[in-house]
Amino acid sequence: MPSTQKPMRYGHTEGHTDVCFDDIGSCIVTCGSDGDVRIWENLDDDDPKSINVGEKAYSFALKNGRLVTAVSNNTVQIHTFPEGAPDGILTRFTTNANHVVFNRDGTKIAAGSSDFMVKVVEVTDSSQQKTFRGHDAPVLSLSFDPQDVFLTSASCDGSVRVWKISDQTCVTSWPLLQKCNDVINAKSICRLAWQPKSGKLLAVPVEKVVKLYRRETWDNQFDLSDNFITQTLSIVIWSPCGQYVAAGSVNGCIAVWNVDTQECMERMKHEKSYTICGLAWHPKGGQIAYTDTEGNLGLLENVCNKDGKKSSGKVSSAVAKDYNDLFDEDDDFLNMDLIEPRSSPKVISNEEEDDDDLMLASSYPRHRGAIIEDDENSLDTALMKVNSNLEKDDDNDQDGSIPILPVSTTQRPFYDGPVPTPQQKPFQSGSTPSHLTHRFMVWNSIGIIRCYNDEQDNAIDVEFHDTSIHHATHLPNSLNHTMADLSSEAILLACESTEELASKLHCIHFSSWDSNKEWTVDMPKDEDIEAVCLGQGWAACATSAMLTRVFTIGGVQKEIFSFPGPVVSMAGHGEQLLVIYHRGTGFDGDQCLGVQLIELGKKKRQVLHGDPLPLTRKSYLMWVGFSAEGTPCYVDSKGIVKMLNRGLGNTWIPVCDTREYCKGKSDHYWVIGIHENPQQLRCIPCKGARFPPTLPRPAVAILSFKLPYCQITTEKGQMEEQFWRSVLFHNHLDYLSKNGYEYDENAKNEAAKEQQELLMKLFALSCKLEREFRCVELADFMTQNAVNLAIKYASRSRKLILAQRLSEMAVEKATEMAAPEEDDDEEEEEDFRNHLNAGYSSSTTEWSQPRVRNLHEQDMEDSKEADAVEEVEEMPEMQKFRQNPFCKTVGLPEMSTPKSAVITSSSQGRVNPFKVSANQKDPTTHSANILDNMSKFSKNTPTPNSRAVNKQKSPVIKPLIPKPKSKQALAATFFQPRPPHAGDKTEEKEEKAETILPEIQAAATENKRPKTGFQMWLEENRESILADNPGLEEADIIKEGMSRFRVLSSDERMVWTEKAKGGASSNSAEAKKRKRPADAKNEGKEKREEKSKEDSSLPKKRKPLDPSINVRLSAFAFKQS
Amino acid sequence: MDPAEAEFLAEKELVTVIPNFSLDRIYLIGGDLGPFNPGLPVEVPLWLAVNLKQRQKCRLIPPEWMDAEKLEEIRDQERKEDTFTPMPSPYYMELTKLLLNYASDSIPKADEIRTLVKDTWDTRIAKLRLSADSFVRQQEAHAKLDNLTLMEINTTGTFLTQALDHMYKLRTNLQPAESAQSQDF
Repeated sequence: MPSTQKPMRYGHTEGHTDVCFDDIGSCIVTCGSDGDVRIWENLDDDDPKSINVGEKAYSFALKNGRLVTAVSNNTVQIHTFPEGAPDGILTRFTTNANHVVFNRDGTKIAAGSSDFMVKVVEVTDSSQQKTFRGHDAPVLSLSFDPQDVFLTSASCDGSVRVWKISDQTCVTSWPLLQKCNDVINAKSICRLAWQPKSGKLLAVPVEKVVKLYRRETWDNQFDLSDNFITQTLSIVIWSPCGQYVAAGSVNGCIAVWNVDTQECMERMKHEKSYTICGLAWHPKGGQIAYTDTEGNLGLLENVCNKDGKKSSGKVSSAVAKDYNDLFDEDDDFLNMDLIEPRSSPKVISNEEEDDDDLMLASSYPRHRGAIIEDDENSLDTALMKVNSNLEKDDDNDQDGSIPILPVSTTQRPFYDGPVPTPQQKPFQSGSTPSHLTHRFMVWNSIGIIRCYNDEQDNAIDVEFHDTSIHHATHLPNSLNHTMADLSSEAILLACESTEELASKLHCIHFSSWDSNKEWTVDMPKDEDIEAVCLGQGWAACATSAMLTRVFTIGGVQKEIFSFPGPVVSMAGHGEQLLVIYHRGTGFDGDQCLGVQLIELGKKKRQVLHGDPLPLTRKSYLMWVGFSAEGTPCYVDSKGIVKMLNRGLGNTWIPVCDTREYCKGKSDHYWVIGIHENPQQLRCIPCKGARFPPTLPRPAVAILSFKLPYCQITTEKGQMEEQFWRSVLFHNHLDYLSKNGYEYDENAKNEAAKEQQELLMKLFALSCKLEREFRCVELADFMTQNAVNLAIKYASRSRKLILAQRLSEMAVEKATEMAAPEEDDDEEEEEDFRNHLNAGYSSSTTEWSQPRVRNLHEQDMEDSKEADAVEEVEEMPEMQKFRQNPFCKTVGLPEMSTPKSAVITSSSQGRVNPFKVSANQKDPTTHSANILDNMSKFSKNTPTPNSRAVNKQKSPVIKPLIPKPKSKQALAATFFQPRPPHAGDKTEEKEEKAETILPEIQAAATENKRPKTGFQMWLEENRESILADNPGLEEADIIKEGMSRFRVLSSDERMVWTEKAKGGASSNSAEAKKRKRPADAKNEGKEKREEKSKEDSSLPKKRKPLDPSINVRLSAFAFKQS
Repeated sequence: MDPAEAEFLAEKELVTVIPNFSLDRIYLIGGDLGPFNPGLPVEVPLWLAVNLKQRQKCRLIPPEWMDAEKLEEIRDQERKEDTFTPMPSPYYMELTKLLLNYASDSIPKADEIRTLVKDTWDTRIAKLRLSADSFVRQQEAHAKLDNLTLMEINTTGTFLTQALDHMYKLRTNLQPAESAQSQDF
């Protein structure tokens, strides 16, 4: 397994740094020229513990809880570790010491100074000093022989000397280095090292090689070199097992050799090629920490995990053991009383009390250790015995009592499979870690709750962004509350249980109108609150018993429900409650989280049923909450903000990568709120940290959202991103309207307009690029109006095929919109249809086909003459589309028959299904049920059928069609002729309809429907007809009347039509008042009148189509700049 | 122009405040302001910022340059150079004065900043006096002074021009004065 290089992070200010691990390897310790010693839990630890040891720290050594530092005031001093309390001065020099080292057992230190001296001092008794004189220049580095016999030193005078500690004599000296006058001028700091345990070999970095000298004989045993090393090596370390040597160079190369084979095992390059000035091998192997002269800290993981080659048997058993360990935990869980749901994290936290809350991926070794311990507890496992030998080795090795052994394989269990990630601890969104003395308990869109926990004061400060909600408050924190949430109604606080006191939920309901504004609830024994949240009118807490308890804001206990894993966080907004919990154990740094979204309003329902939460790989949850508009969002530790996309089946979509906005590697944005309208991500920039300090008061920054679409640099990509972002960020409007909340209608219209404009631009762009298929795809996203505009654009830019396709699609779309309504009808009329359908078996398509063809031709013609006619009406193409078939097909008897039949039947389907029988003598007649079947069919069949259906339904049946629901107005109007422009065609069509539907006509007249021109004419002329042909039936009268009416000149007919219009519009007001069922038939007619009104209510795009259309089309024209 | 007028002009400068109230965009002759969201930084003219601050309606975020370290740098630079160095804001003095008077609680190290700005100001005024002095002494016809702020010009402008005027009169009247004298006799 190759080693992995973790990205470097900022550790100290520029200058010389030093690094090592503590004795058990649980943390990395660094020192730097800023005079601080920092204790890092791991590489991602953003809150390292700092111990200030002086103005500048040159070197330090760490052993047995003692921290020895060489600082700029020329002293070598001790601090306790990890507390960092000063523990005296060990020795002084006349200038600063350059290097300090412990001997093997930590009883002595050696320090080499720029005043040419080397001193060895007893740690417990600083009076016991030995001074080594002999160097002629500042001493660079020192190394203790593990057997405490020798001490080596390297100096600026170019020599490397070996001293005998007992009599302070120089045993040998090699002139290996370049001479220089001061440490800062030295090419290499020449950190040399003895082989651990045996001390058989001494490794010295010289130029580009590591020279190895044999003990006692002091001859150069061999050199380790590699072509990878291009610059001087300055630092050498041994692995704790003594098998490997790692060396760092001044240009940032790190190489690792196997000493036995002298083969170079790892080669690593510093990402910025800074000089490596500190290297440290993890005490259990596997990791190398390194620092550079710019103060950065880095970590190599899985270094030299290749032992498997040598002892595969052992490795495999180790692997097996590790797997067993994993399952042993389960065994524990089941067999023993130790019911600890989170055994592994707990073990860890017991092990290291001062652990940060964020257990991170890089702490694998620790975690492995934890599992082993766990294993030891469960000795009932048979497999344990098999591994007990290994285990013993392990223990012994950790104690360090067997110094010489083939250590490498037994030192740690080698298991290359996925490693379980420690589960992240519960947290409150918008809070900073609870171990800080001054921290934010919550920062959200309402306000800020700060907690002070120092010597003088233990208090909570609540501050509201909007002082009109409530004034700022200061609360004593005697119960040691650690969790808080804030809403515009209440402050919610919670504390964990102590030995005497139960875990408490404390609510300050400041918006209450009575005088009792506070209430407290004690949790049952052994149940700790782990997360709290507030919604509108309710509060909730999640407890360690994996229960969510919901309270009203006044303190009434409401629902309780279990969720399936330890809680991570929860959030509330309005009626929605979002709970995030551990679904299971994640591996390789991933968390395995689940999410439940529950609506606690009137209709209680679960929206997200414990779905997995898609975190970025190797990240953990940082923030979870709702946007101000109520859409669930979360942020993970990689800075990715994700939002629930309700428009796509409640999936999560990344909306922003805050890391993109960060300047430095260690900078982060601490999210405090998300707003969808306007699109704002509110967060606090934190330099070199994940969260902000309370003082100075951090300032809020606003980031914009960006969906991770491809090719965002191109115009197409940009517009696509904008479009989908607009769609996404207006999803909440649909949600709000669906759930009966108030919302801003304007915002919706604005959004729709923006989206349609973007689509038009994209359309224009695709047109320009001759991507016609893409144009059609785009038009598919458009609304009817935009499609019309698109058709216009296409025909204008001479893309006739495109225009035709688009108009087909427009028709299809309208059908689709009409479809939902049919569904309703179907439900009502199902019985009749089943009934009637029985008699028919003919395919719906055969008779609709010819008409379709006809329409196609029509369409072609239309687009040709489009330019000429277009100003006449709002939608010329569509208009003709629906009308022309009739006038054209008038001359084709064989066509008209079936059509008229269809028309009849369909209208009858609406009016009175039983009347169909009247027409059934016509062999080609199809009744309503077939039509309805077809419309069902049309939903999944493409163009021809659905169009045919559409044609039969909307345009022709219009006078009798039931009024579509208002949302459908758009679709319907698409096919309506506009009264002022209706002209002859409309009339003709009406005539036609009327001739075909005499009895319906009659029914309609009874219903006092507004009259058509013909009817009015007929009323006037009925007498004369009767006079001419006495004894005519009513139907015949109409027939006769029809033929006479047709004889009239078009002008005359026009007059009648106009008359009818006038009458109708006066009727319409009255008509509107009637209940729908009653006037269902009338409304078809009425609708025509209403249409002009609807027009105005439509998005404004529709209205000014005449002259301004050109202007607007040209606005969309894509400029190819 | 007196200092009050210069200050009036400075009040048009935009500063960032964090309001603690909610208000939609407001439309003024000078331009639109807002919208004001509680807790969210918004840029408003100084006059409004001061007004809001006085009514406890906002917290001020000091301009970026109003930082002890940066000002120290500016002061040192000003002391080092013989000519005037560019100032971080053309109304630095007015802004400092107003902000520190009304919002010293929102500005960290307010006293230090006050001293630093005053130091810078003093240095600049001293330079101005010095250059005016040499200007008069050497009887130059014109001089070029870059990077002066309005307030600085006004401290010395009226006086200097009047003084020059007087001196001019005195010089040109040198001969007539003698003749006048002779008239007296």
